[in-house]
Amino acid sequence: MAYRYDEQSTPPAAEQVTDVAITRFEHVFEVDPRLMAEHVTQQTFPNWDTLRIVRSRTDHLAWMHAHWCTTVVSGEELLAELDAE
Amino acid sequence: MTVTESLAQHVVDSLVAELAPVLGDEHVLTSKTARWNRARVPAPFPVHRWSERVPDLVVLPASTEEVAHVVRVANKYSVAIVPRDGGTGLTDGAVPERRGIVVDVKRMNQIHEIDLENGTCTVGVGINMLKLNEVLGKHGFIYPDDPASYPCSLIGGRIGTSGWSLVGSRYGHSRDLVLSFDMVLPTGETITVGDGGGQKLTKSSSGYQLKHLFMGHQGTLGIATRATLKLFPKPEAEFSPFWAFADYETAYRAVGALPRAGVATFAGAVLFDEWKVDYLRRDDEAYIPQPSSVKALVCAVAYGNEDEVRAGGRRLMRIARDLGARYLGDEISEGDWAARHDRYATPLHGRTRNGQVAPMSWHCEDAAINYTRLPAVRVAWHGILDRLRRDYDVFDDWGMFAYTSGNTGLDYLTEIDVGIWEQELDDRAWAAWVDAKREIAAVSLAHGGSISACHGSCREGEVDLVPEELGGAYEVMLKIKRALDPNNVMNPGKYGLDRAYRTEDS
Ligand SMILES: Cc1cc2nc3c(=O)[nH]c(=O)nc-3n(C[C@H](O)[C@H](O)[C@H](O)COP(=O)(O)OP(=O)(O)OC[C@H]3O[C@@H](n4cnc5c(N)ncnc54)[C@H](O)[C@@H]3O)c2cc1C
Repeated sequence: MAYRYDEQSTPPAAEQVTDVAITRFEHVFEVDPRLMAEHVTQQTFPNWDTLRIVRSRTDHLAWMHAHWCTTVVSGEELLAELDAE
Repeated sequence: MTVTESLAQHVVDSLVAELAPVLGDEHVLTSKTARWNRARVPAPFPVHRWSERVPDLVVLPASTEEVAHVVRVANKYSVAIVPRDGGTGLTDGAVPERRGIVVDVKRMNQIHEIDLENGTCTVGVGINMLKLNEVLGKHGFIYPDDPASYPCSLIGGRIGTSGWSLVGSRYGHSRDLVLSFDMVLPTGETITVGDGGGQKLTKSSSGYQLKHLFMGHQGTLGIATRATLKLFPKPEAEFSPFWAFADYETAYRAVGALPRAGVATFAGAVLFDEWKVDYLRRDDEAYIPQPSSVKALVCAVAYGNEDEVRAGGRRLMRIARDLGARYLGDEISEGDWAARHDRYATPLHGRTRNGQVAPMSWHCEDAAINYTRLPAVRVAWHGILDRLRRDYDVFDDWGMFAYTSGNTGLDYLTEIDVGIWEQELDDRAWAAWVDAKREIAAVSLAHGGSISACHGSCREGEVDLVPEELGGAYEVMLKIKRALDPNNVMNPGKYGLDRAYRTEDS
């Protein structure tokens, strides 16, 4: 499928994070494209769609917390309390 | 596996003629899509053999009476009936191995009653827990049966499998949470089973305790239609720390110490082994950036009133800290826990031996294992997978976890996750997989465990070992099956129960 604006489908330069993963957007990891050469190939993807999928996942997780309870207790807070003892 | 021929067209026509006037034409389906879509479940299967288990027709009843009618008609024509709810079961329970009629119970999804005074609700078995909890939440209640298929498995399937819940160490599992239910027996009579005759009791000593018998039978003893469930106050607070460990042994000690701490809000603890960490490092945004010193992970979960969750949480944090754990931070902990209610989100790809990405479906073999046996089972199971992967480049070891089944650290749901490239499964690779499953089950039994804590054990492979696991109790199962289902119409072919019908000379 062709998108109207090429630049929308041109992702930022990749940074190698580990031997199997790269990143193009902050905190968004992708399989190293070299590992997607034989059986599954990568598709051209508009940048905004990548970010939309990532954000909608965050929305889903927030929804799930609210579905189960009102407050999420912070481990960082509890650990600070313990360390202060 | 035996392959059953489809019914002759004139038999299908007769069935439709008997069923449609009662259920309505639009609820008796014979189209290809209706039938093929209900032919399988997410457990892997060689795709080229899909056609072997397509039902002859599908019905969508709306009431207990309609289900009873379907069952009576099936008996009249000696045709197999298979109950199906969400179709997410992982032991092929809802797969129509002998074709016949799939009874899809999803239309029975009403909330019949919410009893705010006693804290129960009565629902049709086609309802899903997430949808139910959206309604209960408005009344300050929750029904805390929480499988990793929470958004898509349904109450009837929870009964049919006697399911296991992620927060079961606090609230109990399906068998504790379902108080009673209406059950259409294999011959078409309807009974109510629960603790005693009352439908809303948690403890009765009157008569035989049949509730357990009619849960977890994988649809071989009848069809549940309406269930009364036990409700809890919706928790104020949740706490879900994830910790990293430098070695498996210390993480193992932690996953034993956390439930033994006696924290009342404790809802579960889970240990991910080195293979699981390796797997997560490939594809999971939370773990890709973790340093190589991370060899195992542990997560604990607590639910309840905020002051109690905080107090208990502090105790859990202290246990992990004293064992040298590194807390992974709030963002990872909270995000990873929220994602656990919905494991359909796992990446549906794995790696071939040369590291290339291949489309793979997720499968897990599960068992119930005592705490002291977890390390040995882990080594043996990975050995089996390693051999399989060496011989067939269509399997991928996605690691293991061990998850508390209760709040004393006695036994653990133990799972090995396996990626399987289904499209590439030929008959040889499939046979090797079935052998591996049998070996995995044998290891569980050799260590005094059970073949399944969660999904059931009626798939090809492990099912062969069920008589060995249950011993004389399996003989009783055969007698019960034959007594309740004289024509062997209820989900035939499962659990080797055909044996119940063998005569001396057959
Ligand atoms: C991603 C994922 C995660 C999972 N995580 C868990 C987990 O954490 N815990 C867990 O327990 N399971 C888990 N499972 C397995 C599955 O979700 C459960 O076994 C669930 O209970 C099945 O419910 P279902 O509605 O999909 O039932 P189905 O798959 O439709 O049926 C399951 C069995 O019950 C029988 N059955 C269905 N309806 C009825 C009825 N009305 N009366 C009698 N028998 C009936 C069927 O014949 C079949 O044998 C998971 C599955 C997936 C795909």
